[in-house]
Amino acid sequence: MSEQRNLVEVKDLLVKFPIADGGRRSFIRPVDHVSFAIKPGEVLALVGESGSGKSTIGKALVRIVEPSEGTIHVNDQDVTHIKRRELVAYRRYVQMVFQDPFGSLNPTRTIEQHLTFPLKKHGERGTNVSTSVDELLERVGLTPVAETRVKFPHELSGGQRQRVAIARALAVNPKFLVADEPISMLDVSIRAGILKLMNQLREDFNLAFLYITHDLASARYFGNRIMVLYGGKVMETANSDELIRHPMHPYTRLLLAATPGSGIRGALPETSNKAPNLVEGRKGCPFSDRCPLVTDICREQDPPIVQVSETHTTACHHV
Amino acid sequence: MSDRKPVLEIEDLSVAYQTANGLVNAVNDVNLKVYPEEIVGLVGESGSGKSTMAYAIMRLLKGDAFVTKGHIKVMGEDLYALSPKELRKFRWNKISMVFQSAMSALNPVMTVQTQIVDTLTSHRPEMSKAEAIKRAGELLDVVRIDRKHLNSYPHELSGGMRQRVVIAIAIALSPGFVIMDEPTTALDVVVQRSILDQIREIQQVEKFAVLFISHDFSLVAELASQVAIMYAGRIVELTKSGTLRLGERHHPYTEGLLRAIPHLTADEVVIEGIPGTPPNLVNLPSGCAFYPRCPLATDECRKARPNLYQTDNAIIECHLFKGDREVQHV
Ligand SMILES: Nc1ncnc2c1ncn2[C@@H]1O[C@H](COP(=O)(O)OP(=O)(O)OP(=O)(O)O)[C@@H](O)[C@H]1O
Ligand SMILES: Nc1ncnc2c1ncn2[C@@H]1O[C@H](COP(=O)(O)OP(=O)(O)OP(=O)(O)O)[C@@H](O)[C@H]1O
Ligand SMILES: [Mg+2]
Ligand SMILES: [Mg+2]
Repeated sequence: MSEQRNLVEVKDLLVKFPIADGGRRSFIRPVDHVSFAIKPGEVLALVGESGSGKSTIGKALVRIVEPSEGTIHVNDQDVTHIKRRELVAYRRYVQMVFQDPFGSLNPTRTIEQHLTFPLKKHGERGTNVSTSVDELLERVGLTPVAETRVKFPHELSGGQRQRVAIARALAVNPKFLVADEPISMLDVSIRAGILKLMNQLREDFNLAFLYITHDLASARYFGNRIMVLYGGKVMETANSDELIRHPMHPYTRLLLAATPGSGIRGALPETSNKAPNLVEGRKGCPFSDRCPLVTDICREQDPPIVQVSETHTTACHHV
Repeated sequence: MSDRKPVLEIEDLSVAYQTANGLVNAVNDVNLKVYPEEIVGLVGESGSGKSTMAYAIMRLLKGDAFVTKGHIKVMGEDLYALSPKELRKFRWNKISMVFQSAMSALNPVMTVQTQIVDTLTSHRPEMSKAEAIKRAGELLDVVRIDRKHLNSYPHELSGGMRQRVVIAIAIALSPGFVIMDEPTTALDVVVQRSILDQIREIQQVEKFAVLFISHDFSLVAELASQVAIMYAGRIVELTKSGTLRLGERHHPYTEGLLRAIPHLTADEVVIEGIPGTPPNLVNLPSGCAFYPRCPLATDECRKARPNLYQTDNAIIECHLFKGDREVQHV
């Protein structure tokens, strides 16, 4: 796989948002110089603290959010600042399943309409459309399809809506899919089906994924690599098995320790449970407030990303 | 425990949706009690009727949904007998809910502070604005959100932050009973743990009971004392959470769910579901609803609905447990 060219290449991505901090206007950086690449058919799992910038990275990739700095190349095209027609064409290539299945469907449209719209927009016609709708619904387990087709989103449970959102994203046969917590409301049983479906799509169509999740077990199962984000910065990246078995960064270790079933009870390896500071101009490692290994240098200097092995990198002064 | 009065008492509850395809029987003959200060978990596959039951308890069923049978009492009060005015006072002050749609439940044009303050002052007229603002800050601390987000609008928050704001609003008025419907789906495990610790802490101080709906077995097992397992709208098992693992005696459906939990540090992660799909709620199979998917099903399971049996740690609705003592209610 390593000979292959990259499908997605993100360099030094920076996203800023203005905030009103007690009347003063300042900025936060939920994505702060993030770089990564994804090959065709590869799954990069993105995990990290709530509010650490995962969805913002996803939205920047499908260009709902415009980057403040850095570049995004997809299939050799620079899409960092594309607009209008180019953007419409680009969306045929990339799709996103949004985190919130309740807010991302249109309450006045039936499930059928949710799926026929993208299919027609991308050139399918006549009975083909109808067959494709059935196929998509079947794939995500929303059977009997005839009944599901005529339903409105409010007639579906939370997990059923999540599956409609997945089916809709797949309707245009994308080459790259940003899936933001696509299975968070699904029980283990249906989860298994969706993960298998996504795996199948990767094999059959060489579909690449940015898979955003807080579920490390599914990240390990589905991701080729896992990237760990904290406070807008990449803390660690490695092949999935390697990251779970040999975590290097103190935040990754904390994350693993807190996972239910990890066997670790009692206090977690952290010194406080403060939320990360994203305000522009802060200094040092974003995890330093909570890190059990912290020393002076951590509060002063950004740790550089170091190569631990050919496929394993981490950003920590103490590794 | 049973000498105390339950905060929630559900008796023979059935709820259906009227649809073009016929009646969708989403909740069927449910019995359940929750006692003060207790945390009860409710798990089950997607579409099994968990949220529908929660809405019925809150008397928030909309449009085509209706209670076809049974009674619900919250703190001894039949919500369905209250006038709209009494109901308004009862909700949020006595019973509140974190909706599964929490991420999109906030008002998009109001700041976090305004939404919390509004909830507080509209249900507690005696509370001053200044007090409410102070309380809003404290509530954000509880759910671990930086106070500078008091001035944020919902779209400026991440998914997990919005969920946490909704949790803060649900506990704002110190109700006696809180229903939480998948409240932590957008939270990473570290934040989830610390918020659940916080909830448990205030739960012990303020003594409220919780019905915690989740699909996450390991989470529910850690948090709840008892767990109800729902399949096709029925509670097919009520079990002590401490025994929620393979090797204990459980309903075949519970076992299927337990087997499906992937183990993070195992040599290889195998993710496996329960074969087959949940039944059509318009045309429920006669007998046990799980029999078409049950590896242990017999002819009897197809024909007759099983009774309830009491084992050492659970009450189970399954023919396999015939040797145990038969009971009438969970
Ligand atoms: N449109 C916006 N304006 C201002 N701030 C924003 C905006 N969108 C996101 N943020 C902020 O950026 C940070 C990162 O948000 P993001 O949604 O990327 O987090 P996340 O990692 O996806 O979290 P979660 O796991 O909770 O979904 C948060 O602090 C959030 O408040
Ligand atoms: N308004 C409605 N009209 C018709 N059917 C509905 C309606 N709302 C829900 N249903 C159906 O009722 C069943 C139970 O839905 P409910 O939302 O209670 O499930 P749930 O257990 O909460 O699932 P999830 O874990 O996916 O949230 C589902 O099969 C759903 O399709
Ligand atoms: Mg997010
Ligand atoms: Mg639900």
